Amino acid sequence: METNVDLRKIWNKQKIETPKVEILYTKANKLKSRSFLKLIVVNIALLLTITFIGFIWYYYQPELVTTKIGIILTILATIIFLLPFNKQFSLLTKNKTEPNSKEYLQQLIKLKEIQVYEQNTMLSIYFIILSLGIGLYMFEYVSKMTITWGIITYAITILWFAINWFYLRPKAITKQNAKLNKLLVEFEKLNNQMND
Amino acid sequence: MNFETIYKTYWQKVFRLCMGYANDTDAAKDLAQETFIKVWKQLPKFRNESSIGTWIFRIASNTCLRQIQKDNKMPKSELPLDIKDQIIDTNIEKDIQFLYHCISELQEVERIIISLELEDMNQKEIAEIVGLSEGNVRVKIHRIKEKLTQKFKKNGN
Repeated sequence: METNVDLRKIWNKQKIETPKVEILYTKANKLKSRSFLKLIVVNIALLLTITFIGFIWYYYQPELVTTKIGIILTILATIIFLLPFNKQFSLLTKNKTEPNSKEYLQQLIKLKEIQVYEQNTMLSIYFIILSLGIGLYMFEYVSKMTITWGIITYAITILWFAINWFYLRPKAITKQNAKLNKLLVEFEKLNNQMND
Repeated sequence: MNFETIYKTYWQKVFRLCMGYANDTDAAKDLAQETFIKVWKQLPKFRNESSIGTWIFRIASNTCLRQIQKDNKMPKSELPLDIKDQIIDTNIEKDIQFLYHCISELQEVERIIISLELEDMNQKEIAEIVGLSEGNVRVKIHRIKEKLTQKFKKNGN
């Protein structure tokens, strides 16, 4: 070593007892089953929604094509909402061999950027399709009501969509983006250190 | 190489790297543990594209670099209690503490590079782990060591 302070000697003085390997196995299995459970729960929720909507279709035998389109759009919206969740899993497990740190940081940045895009775009698409689906679905049943009740029903529904679109959606997006952007800034910072 | 041999051979080394990065015993243990969980999971896929050491240290450095993300996600209290009892280091010697302190004042990537260097990895291996050119690594190590030596001298060592 060219310096007169022997850093390596100091460094090697740090000794710690190696924890039992069994503890690691337990933790690993716990983590594994937990993330697997999350995936299952989400997909069961998706399946249940689709089954429920399918059941309505089968049981009430809608006559108008608008109702059927409405049902399909609602299912589509649910799938769109849950798609990014499943895809995230595959992005994380796809890596075969461990990349070097520079590549790794770039992958993380890319992943975060995809997430920001998905949250902004997908959430909006989800809201539009879902609103459209429900609106169309209702038409058949509302058309059987009196005009006044029909207008009231649609007015309430539209009000509810408006609250979602103008209040809840931007709020959800801002909250998610704040978290992701903070991470993005940190990863960019690390990435820049590589190029110093 | 089976996992338990790897675990026994590399735990200390990985722990020291994490300690260099985090300068906090509990955080370093968490990071080392996370590294080995990943090693355990990925070992069947490991095809000797690099030496096993390089591969493990890649996982360790990446785990450290991703730590910012984990901070929001995983509560620290998740460690089983009995790990705590196995630690003998409550009074780490002063000069080690000072070394960790100096390293913690460096940039994150520099912390990893110097920890690997102190762990006796050669510059080619460090370059492979971090993803920089060998020349770049050499320059960085030189700069970092100068900084550290300065600090030690100032401190009166």
